Amino acid sequence: MSNKNLKVGQEVASFEFTIEKGKLREVALAIGDLNPIYLDSDAAKEIGYQDVVAQPTFGFIMGLWGGADFDVLVRELDMNPIKVLHGEQEFLYYDEINPGEVLSAHCKLKNLEEKKSMYVFGLETEYFNQEGELVLISRSTIIERK
Amino acid sequence: MLNNTANVHNLKVGDEWPVLRKKPIDEVQLVRYAGASGDFNPLHYVESLAQKAGFNKLIAQGMLVMGFVGQAVSGWIPNKFLRRLRVRFVNVTYLGDTISVVGKIIEMREEGQEVVVTSEVKAIDQNGEEKITGLFEAVLLK
Repeated sequence: MSNKNLKVGQEVASFEFTIEKGKLREVALAIGDLNPIYLDSDAAKEIGYQDVVAQPTFGFIMGLWGGADFDVLVRELDMNPIKVLHGEQEFLYYDEINPGEVLSAHCKLKNLEEKKSMYVFGLETEYFNQEGELVLISRSTIIERK
Repeated sequence: MLNNTANVHNLKVGDEWPVLRKKPIDEVQLVRYAGASGDFNPLHYVESLAQKAGFNKLIAQGMLVMGFVGQAVSGWIPNKFLRRLRVRFVNVTYLGDTISVVGKIIEMREEGQEVVVTSEVKAIDQNGEEKITGLFEAVLLK
């Protein structure tokens, strides 16, 4: 349904991401989110977590650092970078994400619509832990204006 | 107005979560978030490029504002109960904007021993303009 040579279901990127305590902290501080469950292992454990955990929007950042950054998306989706907007973002949470884990991620094109004035891309990235369990899904709607 | 609690017996449809009021977004925050997140789009830190792209000022990363939403939500309900967070970016956020995050319970649905609590959430600026609209779901024990 579009002029782009893309197939719905195709893989856009595949990567591993190692969860580091310092990165979890850096992201929380950049947002200004001082909840101790992101910053302080002892405080997080006291509340019942295994260690510090990822801020709820960390999934998008794993994509940027891990292998599905803006340049990759522009190339893989054949987009004009100055016409690109982030339309929607969704996270589905299945388990805690703690330091020391190595997550495997697969980002796929789930939807592609061509409208009069824009393309709308639906991307979905699934994150699995080392036991092969799904821990997080990140869904992004990316808009490219024509 | 609700307290920050995860006790389902204290919750009902229509309840509003406590408002999270952020400080105005300054240059340091934009640069810091760019570095932390890996979003190096220069519209967030090079003013002349932002102006060339048709904006009056630097624009904030949409995901930074969603980060504020995440901060509010995990202040309202502990992270471990959070199942889903979905937002739409409806307006651009600028350098200097002061964002507040507001939320309200819109549905409570029993599923076995659990209650799925769905809330709407919005990030609005100092003039009441919506920057983000969305919803989140949390699963609490009965």
